[in-house]
Amino acid sequence: VTAPDAPPHPAAPPQTPTPSPSPSPSWLGRVFSTDHKVIGKQFLFLGLAFLAVGGVMAMLIRWQLARPGQPVPLVGRLLFPGAGGVISPAAYTSLFTMHGTIMIFFAVTPILIGGFGNFCVPLLIGTRDMAFPRLNMLSFWTMAAATATLTASFFVPLGAAASGWTAYATLSTAIGAPGAGQTMWTVAIYFNGVSTVMGAINYITTVVRLRAPGMSWFRLPLTVWGFFLTSILNALFVPVIAAAMVLLFFDRIFGTQFFIAGSTIRAGGDPILYQHMFWLFGHPEVYILILPAWGIVSDLLSFFARKPAFGYRVTVWSLIGVVVLSCVVYGHHMFTTGMSPLLGESFMVLTMIISVPTSLLFLNWLGTLWRGAARMRTPMLFCVGLVFTFGIGGLTGLYLADIVADQYLHDTYFVVGHFHLIMAAALLLASFAAVYFWFPKMFGRMMSEGLGKLHFWPTFLALNVVFGGQLLIGWAGMQRRLYDPSAYEFLAHLLPWNVWISRAAYVLGAAQLVFVLNFFVSLRWGKPAPANPWEVGTLEWTLPSPPPHHNFDVIPTVVRGPHELGSPDALARGKDWLGQDEVLP
Amino acid sequence: VSPEASSAQRLNGAVGMAVFLGACAMLFAALLFAYAVVRAQAVAWPPPGTPPFPRAAAASNGLLLIAAGFALRRARGHGPKWAAVSLGLGALFLLMQAGLWGRLVAGHLGPGTGALGDVFFALSAFHALHVLGGLVAIALLLRPRASADARPRRLRLATLYMDFVVAVWLIIYVAVCVA
Repeated sequence: VTAPDAPPHPAAPPQTPTPSPSPSPSWLGRVFSTDHKVIGKQFLFLGLAFLAVGGVMAMLIRWQLARPGQPVPLVGRLLFPGAGGVISPAAYTSLFTMHGTIMIFFAVTPILIGGFGNFCVPLLIGTRDMAFPRLNMLSFWTMAAATATLTASFFVPLGAAASGWTAYATLSTAIGAPGAGQTMWTVAIYFNGVSTVMGAINYITTVVRLRAPGMSWFRLPLTVWGFFLTSILNALFVPVIAAAMVLLFFDRIFGTQFFIAGSTIRAGGDPILYQHMFWLFGHPEVYILILPAWGIVSDLLSFFARKPAFGYRVTVWSLIGVVVLSCVVYGHHMFTTGMSPLLGESFMVLTMIISVPTSLLFLNWLGTLWRGAARMRTPMLFCVGLVFTFGIGGLTGLYLADIVADQYLHDTYFVVGHFHLIMAAALLLASFAAVYFWFPKMFGRMMSEGLGKLHFWPTFLALNVVFGGQLLIGWAGMQRRLYDPSAYEFLAHLLPWNVWISRAAYVLGAAQLVFVLNFFVSLRWGKPAPANPWEVGTLEWTLPSPPPHHNFDVIPTVVRGPHELGSPDALARGKDWLGQDEVLP
Repeated sequence: VSPEASSAQRLNGAVGMAVFLGACAMLFAALLFAYAVVRAQAVAWPPPGTPPFPRAAAASNGLLLIAAGFALRRARGHGPKWAAVSLGLGALFLLMQAGLWGRLVAGHLGPGTGALGDVFFALSAFHALHVLGGLVAIALLLRPRASADARPRRLRLATLYMDFVVAVWLIIYVAVCVA
């Protein structure tokens, strides 16, 4: 951490564009806003809405696994009128496909990267807006168009896509999926990618060019590091899945055969080629999603432990190390495709090496918590919960990285449990921590602490039962994506386990209603938020809640790092934190 | 607009364009990777029974695109009429490409007829869409109502982008049509 009296680093040329005019009060001007704060909220609402949709789908999936072939209570006849309220095998396949697609591309991505990325990056680095505000607006509306396309796909003949969120060929080519739903899925993922790349261009340019004077790279809040590094991965690897979508689209529409195996009559493509292109993107995608969460948690743990982040520089270099390594590990998703053992072994070793920077990061979190004067407010609870679930999720990844163990565990519920502990549990906990933490700055009101804690405990306990239970039944041999596992003699004894996992899942689902209640009640009736309710030093908390359209009247000059908590200079002033731009006499 | 602000905007644009072109490069690299895999797995290349590819037509179309790229470079020193020339040449390139696809379909080299037809159609059609994007950008900066202050900056960025699509075309031509 930079010493408070160090001279300000010459980070970037001072950026003092004249404050933009206030937003036009017209309805159109508000909807098509170029203000990063408004766009961030738009992304947040879009993501939360689809989080609810994906969550309802998860409940339906759990119903089928616990009560196979029985009509869904309450909403069954409405959702599945043709089958008398029963989830048919085709509907079930479509459900888990769209659950995964929506959660990853249309819920977590908009909430964390679109929502908090947009809202936080300019405020935390001390600038008035993104480098390209109109591109930013276009990014949101491209995402909205992709979302509309995906939603429309539910209503076409043969229904929405049903080839899994990975859309492996040939399940996803015209042979496996003749309906228009899969084509619309392909288009939606492509435009989702276009939106993400637009965002990445903006975030990278903004962080490189628009940091406030004195905001050197090693004074950036770790949240900003998370979004910056994620954007680099987005710019590099989202185009790879976009290319896969282009070829899949051509295969489906123009009859090309990139992902259909050749015959003796004509040379053709290779279904495995799709998997290479998908995972070349897909593994960086895991880190694309988790890096913002890591950044946010690294900051929040320090803020609420009332201590500087332990090993700030080590954390930053660990994040960079993960970014570099994440580019060269994707083959571990394909151990069972018959790849050369030598290649498989390289992927195994590289995957295991990635646990080194990850462990450093984890140790730094523990170091931050160690002997801190923790304030267990709601955002902190969610962060500590993340540390726990990410620990289990990360450790189970080592089993899957091992080729021999993976031959058995591949495509079982062990994989489902593992990635849900990270992609669902850890990301959800980070998203909720971020909502509780920045809600006062976004909307000018505090969320209820009591309801926040009532939201946290059932969520945390239930998700560990759900995903921990999935690890166990996967270990016992239950494959994923089966319509009715109890139909198989060797899996029938796992039905009671599935019943209990489903019950925990319903608790998890119901607990989110507390969040919805808290969110909307606080939005309307919450206690007005002071400028700095959490007593921390990053730049957004120097502004009123919510900040004015142009953020900063005067661009601040940064004189220290983001985690100056408990320093003697501060204590001498009767508080335990120092602002990043606070000049000491 | 102060000189500092305008130079800051130029640098912002340069950084943004660099990231954008990096993303586009990954897109085409992934498509070429797919081509390499298809080609490596074929028994022979071009696959037996593939009609001869009309290289000359593809090459002459390519010359149009290269000329469009040079015209846009010239616009930076010699006025916006060269940008209009570039726009015309680029549009002609797209028309000629469409003609080439028609000819390929008629000659059993279109999409769905064989691996070479698939690869050329997918890569050239997707490339054409990117050229179209560049032409839209040129048309936008030529609008009479467009800000005259911003024009040199936008022209620089459009030139970078057009140079990129020219380079991609050269790579596609060499990799698919010649090799």
